[in-house]
Amino acid sequence: MQPITITLNGREVVGEPGMTILELARREGVHIPTLCHGPHLTSVGDCPSISTCRICLVEDERTGAMVTACGTFIVPGMVINTHSPRVLERRRTLIELVLASHPDSCLICDKGNRCQLRQIAAELGIGLVRLQKIPQPVTIKDANPFIKRDLSKCILCAKCIRVCQDLVVEGAIDYFQRGFIAKPATFGDTALEESECTFCGTCVSVCPTGALTEAEPAYTGTAGTVVRSTCPFCGCGCSIRLEVHEGRIVRSAPNKQDPVSRGTLCVKGSFGFDFVHSPDRLTAPLIKVNGDFKEASWEEAVTAVTDGFRRLKEEYGSGSLAVFGSSKCTNEENYLLQRFARCVLGTNNIDNGSRLYGTAGLTGPGETGGVYGTTNSLAVLEEAEVILVIGADPTKSAPLVGYAVKRAVRCGNARLILIDPRESRLALFADLWLRPKVATDLTLVNGLCKAVIDESLINEGSVDRETAEFKAFVESLSGLTSTVVEETTGVPFVSVRQAARMYGSAKRAAILYGSGVAQQKNGTGTIEALFNLALLTGKIHGYSGIYALQQENNAQGACDMGVLPDFLPGYHPVADRASRRKFKDYWGDIPEEPGLTVFEMLAAAKSGEIKGMYVVGENPVATFPRAEFVREALSSLEFLVVQDMFLTETAKLADVVLPAASFAEKEGTFTSFDGRINWLRKALEPLGQSLPDCEIIARLAVQMGSPMAYSSPQEVREEIEKLIPMYRGIGYGLLEEPEYPTEYSGLAKTPPMYRKQPERAFSLLPARNGILWLEPDKEYPFILLTGSSLYDSGGGTRSSRAARLGRFSSGASVSINETDAGRLGVIDGEKVRIVSPAGEISAAAEITDALPEGLLYLPFSLSANPVSQLFDITLDPERKSPLVKAVKVRMERVGNSG
Amino acid sequence: MQNKRTVFVCQGTGCLSTGSGAVYEALKAEVAKLGLTDVEVDFTGCHGFCEQGGIVAVEPEGIFYTHVTIDDVPEIVGSHLKGGNPVERLFYRDPATGRAVPRYHEINFYKKQQRVILRNCGRINPEKIDQYISKGGYRALKKALLEMTPEQVIEEVKRSGLRGRGGAGFPTGRKWEFSRNAQADRKYVICNADEGDPGAFMDRSVLEADPHAVIEGLITAGYATGANAGYIYVRAEYPLAVKRIRIALEHARERGFLGRDILGSGFDFEVYIKEGAGAFVCGEETALIASIEGRRGMPRPRPPYPAQSGLQGKPTTINNVKTLASVPPIIEQGADWFSTIGTPKSKGTTVLALSGKILNSGLVEVPMGTPLSTIIFDIGGGIPGGKRLKAVQTGGPSGGCIPAKIPDTPVDYETLTMVGSIMGSGGMVVMDEDTCMVEVARYFLSFTQAESCGKCAPCRLGTRQMLEILARITQGKAQESDLDTLFTIAKTVKECSLCGLGQTCPNPVLSTLRYFKSEYEAHINKKRCPANQCRFLRRKTGKKT
Repeated sequence: MQPITITLNGREVVGEPGMTILELARREGVHIPTLCHGPHLTSVGDCPSISTCRICLVEDERTGAMVTACGTFIVPGMVINTHSPRVLERRRTLIELVLASHPDSCLICDKGNRCQLRQIAAELGIGLVRLQKIPQPVTIKDANPFIKRDLSKCILCAKCIRVCQDLVVEGAIDYFQRGFIAKPATFGDTALEESECTFCGTCVSVCPTGALTEAEPAYTGTAGTVVRSTCPFCGCGCSIRLEVHEGRIVRSAPNKQDPVSRGTLCVKGSFGFDFVHSPDRLTAPLIKVNGDFKEASWEEAVTAVTDGFRRLKEEYGSGSLAVFGSSKCTNEENYLLQRFARCVLGTNNIDNGSRLYGTAGLTGPGETGGVYGTTNSLAVLEEAEVILVIGADPTKSAPLVGYAVKRAVRCGNARLILIDPRESRLALFADLWLRPKVATDLTLVNGLCKAVIDESLINEGSVDRETAEFKAFVESLSGLTSTVVEETTGVPFVSVRQAARMYGSAKRAAILYGSGVAQQKNGTGTIEALFNLALLTGKIHGYSGIYALQQENNAQGACDMGVLPDFLPGYHPVADRASRRKFKDYWGDIPEEPGLTVFEMLAAAKSGEIKGMYVVGENPVATFPRAEFVREALSSLEFLVVQDMFLTETAKLADVVLPAASFAEKEGTFTSFDGRINWLRKALEPLGQSLPDCEIIARLAVQMGSPMAYSSPQEVREEIEKLIPMYRGIGYGLLEEPEYPTEYSGLAKTPPMYRKQPERAFSLLPARNGILWLEPDKEYPFILLTGSSLYDSGGGTRSSRAARLGRFSSGASVSINETDAGRLGVIDGEKVRIVSPAGEISAAAEITDALPEGLLYLPFSLSANPVSQLFDITLDPERKSPLVKAVKVRMERVGNSG
Repeated sequence: MQNKRTVFVCQGTGCLSTGSGAVYEALKAEVAKLGLTDVEVDFTGCHGFCEQGGIVAVEPEGIFYTHVTIDDVPEIVGSHLKGGNPVERLFYRDPATGRAVPRYHEINFYKKQQRVILRNCGRINPEKIDQYISKGGYRALKKALLEMTPEQVIEEVKRSGLRGRGGAGFPTGRKWEFSRNAQADRKYVICNADEGDPGAFMDRSVLEADPHAVIEGLITAGYATGANAGYIYVRAEYPLAVKRIRIALEHARERGFLGRDILGSGFDFEVYIKEGAGAFVCGEETALIASIEGRRGMPRPRPPYPAQSGLQGKPTTINNVKTLASVPPIIEQGADWFSTIGTPKSKGTTVLALSGKILNSGLVEVPMGTPLSTIIFDIGGGIPGGKRLKAVQTGGPSGGCIPAKIPDTPVDYETLTMVGSIMGSGGMVVMDEDTCMVEVARYFLSFTQAESCGKCAPCRLGTRQMLEILARITQGKAQESDLDTLFTIAKTVKECSLCGLGQTCPNPVLSTLRYFKSEYEAHINKKRCPANQCRFLRRKTGKKT
């Protein structure tokens, strides 16, 4: 790689091969204006840039040619002028041409001073335009609350088109018409709501002018402060930029420096943060007196809490107390919370919210002690040649992962194997789509393992055929014939074999699974089988991997931090003396017995064994199945403390409610599903008297007489770094997130911070037999599947309080196959009742061809519809997670049955 | 007994529009009726002299009938074919002398031409591969595949000096070499037959009259560059061309010129047809590739050039129809022969579509470097009605206007660029003194403006602004400052646009500003159209007859 010397504005400068003129000029401090250029945006066909605005044209003195700085690689001996009179004249003419077809409405334009066109015009000293005004006539009929289009301001830089096509891969918009009247538009130029648009807002964030703006802006001016932070909704961990004006978040934009999110967000990340300013926020501690809440001072509240816990501990022992922590709180808060539970309250009865999604069970079966979960980084996923997606619709539950999968297929070299009975968005991208019957995943994956062995696709380096383990594994599959697989799953075995060949023969292959696997009865067995499949074919490490999606922003971190009844931080088994000793030096005594999971806690509360509970940032009454049972269990407690931002259904049952600060009002870190550590920065002061969870826990500890001597989250991080090997040696103990070095290209050259993979030795586990646990019958002839909704997050505590998300997601409907609907006489949009053995709900019916006969689908959007009421609390015996993925139901027309 | 004669009825698109399809059928019927066993009725593609259609030629005598209709059939058969007396009233008449010219090779229009690319056009039945072979067809392919290495083929083409006939004139051999040297598992060659210039029909004529010449060139290009697949990207508006290519491909496959192990050489090659949907810009190579890939036909910046990253990201060579048709003669007769034709820098011949104010309009093939005056006056027969030549516009709608004061301008790449025009696809519009040059610029720009894809700002916005200004000028509503603005925008569009369309579309404006500025000034300052053509400025008296 010989350095390249060129002459830039009369000065010799040196760059590297593969650098564009623009990159080198920027590094040398020479400013060249651009409009259509941006990080993460490339044109098709290996061009460094799309080069359509032509504003960055510079002059090559040797040839006399005008070339774009963004699209031209440096070559030795180039003589480039970036600001010669000719260049400036051309640039001015170009901007004047653009301005001649741009409205003169700058004074009232939302984009204001952030408009790049205006900035460049100012730089070039362009005032009134002498050209004839030729306006772009446009009519837009959008009615959504997120994105407003005013294409009379569009300069056709096509950034919106490119992010929609190449980054989020929705393809909702493309060029429409040609020549002067060309514009970005949806298919058929319809309103955005009628298109494929998911309102991810990425296009708004890249638009240089006021053509695309927020539909209902909180503030139209330029925000004074911009704070980089991390989105608190799903487990993807997208970095965001919060624009703050007068103590309010007025705008959220993706962080374009983030090499993983690549400057994308989803609708929640772009338009969902107004929950922070919801009038429902708690602003003071509440103490229940005679059944009514009374506002209290922190001193009173802390005293009430500690008195309550201390009394129970003294009277009934530590085992009568339990803590339910949050998969939404930061790592530091979670670390403190479990230490508080173990060393202050003295109990291992601690669990976190991801139990609901079956992923708290990253913990494997007892005999191996392995830790399941994501084995590789999201960035590597896109390098895969084959991606197998099972039990997940990442386009809804983890949009960033959805983007990555679609990009890998559309722009990379990946082929997609989709295993899903329902036609999710990914079906469009799938090379091979297997539609097994619901609840037969385990047999299908075992079938894949069988086919891998039969087809000799075993990776010899990864599996030794001579071991007892392997022989036992093969033996365990002996009863599984192709006929059995076919009959059980309904998938032709030729397709299973085809999938096995695709997956097994790829050099780099990824498996991606979500709660569709984890929330089912055979979930543990299926996860084991997926690991078996990867192990057999040598696809766990390197450029391959297994990706376990997480529904909550810090589900991974909460588990890493030991907010689990059976594991200390870093997955050290609590029952293991050596593990306990390691932490004892720092914390003091740790109880030996593993504690209860949250559903066990509730049962124990109901039966009176648990007397006091501390619930942090979770709302089980709303999110768990059988609300009445949960309510009763919590009501049976002698003492309940709930710490939350809102007076949730759960908080209403509490004796003391502690007001917590939102994500924007504190600092700390989240760990994404793939182990990326993302920093939160404080953008606002906590609302009213609310406090960051860290601070509240620390105050409680002091009052309990066991102070935890941390003066800041940084000190907590330093201890985490010392004690958890996964977080050691990666720079985790720093004051705050190290800046991504902004290289000349505007892209981070160093990868983001990843925590290390936990140490684990994978071995082949004998295949389990799938248990047939869900079969429709006469009374309940349908199976209802649940899934995620794009406009909701978890229990909806926050997303339902984001005004626009709430409005847009309301009216979630139950999907039904056309034939079934015809049989029942149900018409599209009709209100129907869904009845399961456990309960019933009503919803509007939506007729679809995405479902096979006999299957219904209702997204888990709790704010709109309490789907969870259709489920009983049936726990997976090992992971102790509820089976809330599918249930047998019947559908009744409301009109018919009165 | 006379030798066996063949009556060739032109079935090119031009002649077909005069009813030559019926003439062909009638001739067959008439010949059969009279039982003339020594006469075969066959058809050909375009002769290039479309103005004289329907054309019927009788070979080997070389009798050339013009303006033949179905009513003339009995006389041709009865008098000429049976009776031996050619029908004089159907002969071509020299417009200058009024003399009847019975034979093909005696006609001035043909006499001064040198036909390399159009060598078989009008001479063979394009739907019969044997006729192509009988004229030496596929000999070059055999030679290339069996006697030459790919490198030798490239060397031969390089030495011949052949340059791209699509307009830009890039040396074909070097283009092939780039692709040859690119490392990839797959490579492609594409024949660009997306002829979109209004009035241009040379590619269409070649494809309709001699499709095998193009296919032979394409296979040779594939062999030379290492590609095993080729595409012919042809406009859907050319259904006859598509049909004849399809037939030709089928025949070539039957004879083993296509498919696996061609002629036992071990070389595999397959050709696919892709019909374009009518966007002018798809003639631009990167837009063309996008279109083949099923994407919106829009250009992208180069580099990377298609030779590095083209179709499906693989090295791709794109050659014009006429370039490929030139290849077989070069291989067969050698680079030395080819390079004797033309000028030192522009070798070989060029095909021009001669039209406008000219007596003999049609397709003309001349050696590169032939002076404009030769083409206009000798071949074209001059300007009708005794009018004076004013300008010649070359290269299609993006070409410039060359004023009559430089009539000896040789037609080659460098000279045309120097005088402010381009070689382009070979369009040549002759203008007489009654032509308003401002209107000419406005007219051509209205085409390119409508065909701008809209991707890059200068072309999208600049062409529209220029068009507005030109309209103002022709309506007498312009101010003097508009001329400066027009010039500035034209320069900006030319220098700043992304693709060839934008980079060349200001040429009609810039060249007329250069050579005919006074006409612009007359429109603006005196509110007068010197040619008295602009409707809004037309004088009441002195009306054009």
